[in-house]
Amino acid sequence: MRHEAFFLPSTVGQRLVLLYSPEPAEKLRGAVVYVHPFGEELNKSRRMAALQARAMASAGYMVLQIDLLGCGDSSGDFGDATWEAWLADVKLASAWLQERTTAALWLWGLRSGCLLVNEAAHRMQGPVNLLFWQPVVSGKQFLQQFLRLKVASEMLASDGKGVMERLRGQLRQGEAIEIAGYLLAPALAQGLEQADLLLPHRSGRVEWIEISGRADASLSLAATARLTQWQAAGQEARGTAVSGPAFWQTTEISECPALLEASLRALSEEVPA
Amino acid sequence: MNIKDEVVAVLDEVLSLKGRASTFSPETPLLGAIPELDSMAVVALITSLEERFGFVVDDDEIDGTVFASLGALLDFVHGKLGV
Repeated sequence: MRHEAFFLPSTVGQRLVLLYSPEPAEKLRGAVVYVHPFGEELNKSRRMAALQARAMASAGYMVLQIDLLGCGDSSGDFGDATWEAWLADVKLASAWLQERTTAALWLWGLRSGCLLVNEAAHRMQGPVNLLFWQPVVSGKQFLQQFLRLKVASEMLASDGKGVMERLRGQLRQGEAIEIAGYLLAPALAQGLEQADLLLPHRSGRVEWIEISGRADASLSLAATARLTQWQAAGQEARGTAVSGPAFWQTTEISECPALLEASLRALSEEVPA
Repeated sequence: MNIKDEVVAVLDEVLSLKGRASTFSPETPLLGAIPELDSMAVVALITSLEERFGFVVDDDEIDGTVFASLGALLDFVHGKLGV
């Protein structure tokens, strides 16, 4: 397994990417683009993303992780980020990999990253497989949760009443708002709010993995409902639940080894007919 | 489902308390008493409770009193579940 970091030139500045590759002698089993969540979830999940990328590369997959516009070490500030610009970044990363290999393409997302890869897949010409980690199914609900950070921090200081209304008003008027150190532009809020995890019609296989704090992990009702609907529409899709901490939001950086194993299995094993 | 055990498990997981939450009583103060309970953690806690119990929290329902103590949080969850 080898890994390197470099910048990919983009229409707006450049994006930091991390490339994890198997040894050259190995046959490539697939090409994977990883799309991160945003805000603090990005920071909390870096470790798990790196562990998974290494494990995938050791198992014969080439993995490209991209820092989206305004995130990590890529160009721009978070306030510059828009949903469309992020979709373009996913396309950029996918195209880069596809120029180098014809191996089957996987788009792998975590949380809000799943909304992005799903929409990006929808716009692609060729078949693409999807690996979802704890997907956000409704951008609208997710935005609400993000805005709550502000409500919560004001609650710690005073009572937090009326904060949500004020924030939504500011976004409606085209003002950026600052939440937990992130400047949220109206264009990003709007794109996120409209994003919904709908069945992309060009997907090959969908592997949906959820992480549960319970020892007897089971898929959420939301996941089961959507997967059932997709399967009924003829989509090859499989849901898996593993036990472990919600590593993208725990106070300390945590790991979920069961997820690493389940993801490798998901990539390599066909869904039984 | 034992609601107190579930809430304690969520608290422990979200705040990375490593089992400390299992020693909490209803009188144990939370907000302002547990350093791990910052705004990120409050939101993570609400989200986890919503996902675990399947209810939806409206934003005007949330204020500091809900997180004042474990007992207050349990009352809130009981209220949401209608039990």
